[in-house]
Amino acid sequence: MNASRTEKLLFIAPAIAYLLVFSIFPLIYSVGISLTDLNVVRKGTGNFVGLSNYVHLFSSGSLFVRAVTNTFIIMFFALLIEIVLGFIIARLFYLVRSVRFVTILRTMYIIPIMITPLIFGLVWSYVLNPLLGVGNVMLKAAGLHALPWLGSPKTALATIVMIDVWQWTPFLMMLIFSGFMTIPHELFEAAEVDGARLVKKITHIELPFLKQVIGLALILRSMDVFRMFDLIYATTQGGPGGATEVISMFAYRQSFNYYNTSIGSTASIIALIIITIISNFFNKITKETRG
Amino acid sequence: MQAHLARKMKTGTISAILLVVTIVTIAPLIWMLLASFKTPAQIFSSPLVVLPPSLYLDNYKAILLGSESRLPFLWNSLVISLLSTALVMCIAAPAAFGFAKLNVRHSDRYELWILSTRMMPPIAALIPISMIIRQLGMFDTKTGIILVYCAFNLPYAVWMLTIFLRQLPREMDEAAMLDGCSWRKIFLRISLPLIIPTFFTVAIFVFLFSWNEMLGALILSGRRAKTLPVAITEYAGGIFIRWELMSAAAVLQIIPAVFVVILFNKYIVSGLTMGSVKG
Repeated sequence: MNASRTEKLLFIAPAIAYLLVFSIFPLIYSVGISLTDLNVVRKGTGNFVGLSNYVHLFSSGSLFVRAVTNTFIIMFFALLIEIVLGFIIARLFYLVRSVRFVTILRTMYIIPIMITPLIFGLVWSYVLNPLLGVGNVMLKAAGLHALPWLGSPKTALATIVMIDVWQWTPFLMMLIFSGFMTIPHELFEAAEVDGARLVKKITHIELPFLKQVIGLALILRSMDVFRMFDLIYATTQGGPGGATEVISMFAYRQSFNYYNTSIGSTASIIALIIITIISNFFNKITKETRG
Repeated sequence: MQAHLARKMKTGTISAILLVVTIVTIAPLIWMLLASFKTPAQIFSSPLVVLPPSLYLDNYKAILLGSESRLPFLWNSLVISLLSTALVMCIAAPAAFGFAKLNVRHSDRYELWILSTRMMPPIAALIPISMIIRQLGMFDTKTGIILVYCAFNLPYAVWMLTIFLRQLPREMDEAAMLDGCSWRKIFLRISLPLIIPTFFTVAIFVFLFSWNEMLGALILSGRRAKTLPVAITEYAGGIFIRWELMSAAAVLQIIPAVFVVILFNKYIVSGLTMGSVKG
């Protein structure tokens, strides 16, 4: 019944080899580059410099520190708002789930999650364009002041958060909705009939069933935000004045616009380390609350 | 009777709220769709033109035909996405079968390792990969991008297919074994046909991930192998932006995604959570 070693190898070796060549080797290579002063257009670079790139990136006031800070700010606010809105909307969808029309609505509602953030970035920069955008036209129609949105250092980061929330709340909704579907019907309805207070019902009956999906959503979304590139590239490219700089954008620009390959590699290795820590952290939390 | 009525009212109110929420959520996409049918004059007119007065198709004509056609890049996107998906599935299916059925030692460790390669920010791999690809003379070729996209999506496909192959009953393999089938035969004739629907669902997700990918193509292509997402971003550069052309190109870009949501919406939850949540 057991397969021979060679047989096993024939099945799994191609995939393992492929990933070694295209993921693991580049990664090790990248760690190597991060320890040099390589600049691909400058001659005489590529000398070993130890950890000085890492020290340099974390020196106070550097753009990289700003990129890391911005990434965490986006992560915190976007995820928080997405969870709250996603929960409320999922609960509403769950309450009227038997209505056929609502089922169709639910499908339409989750369309954004399969679309690349690039497109949303471009559309939003059109909608929020100071000259011809519909965003400010609507604000003025409502008697409010026009906003500079992506154009001012004061509002740009908040606008990025808004765009992220707009696209990804449906993802949270979808996951939390599938969590709601695991609540035993009698339990949900019984509490309804009892007239148990809403808050109590949510915290005592619903949230225990939803913890796991919310934890998973947090892991997936935080990794997404950490990788965020397309949205920034399509809207601000990190500007104005570094206000929306994020890690991937920083690493990209260093490597491919300034040819500071070593700095770009260093930034991306640091990103990798942080992302590993975060996902382990969330994993632990969700496991603990489960157990 | 009154309770019944109150309940109906409540259902109606919630449905109406959800209708508004849905429209607001997809409003940017609708605005883009409308813009793709507007003339440049209507784009820049004040007051704003909301609905294009006539069905103006010149934007689509311009990006598909004409001298500024984006058709070659659309074609690149299609070829790269299809071929890299095919490559991913050819490598992933046997590996998944191996992990699911062949009692590979430390298989869980391999699987976790494979999964973790998916977590890493693509830029971390792309910086060294771009240097390697240039050295191999594959810069600005479809082959280079296909190979890299395959590496991006392989972990996902292996992981998903392993989950589904594990759910197949073991008795079937044992029976086939008694009939003298080799593992190769069991894989090709028994297991694979049984997971055909899943196999194609995973393939469609992989296709869409490749279709949506931009950073890799941006780094690995110049003028020839450019994909549609990269071509679309070029509208955004510069001072004078052709919003109407950009919108039309963007509409072409999102069509596959919209189809997947409508036709495969049952599989999206498990497809996007690596199978850890059932839809």
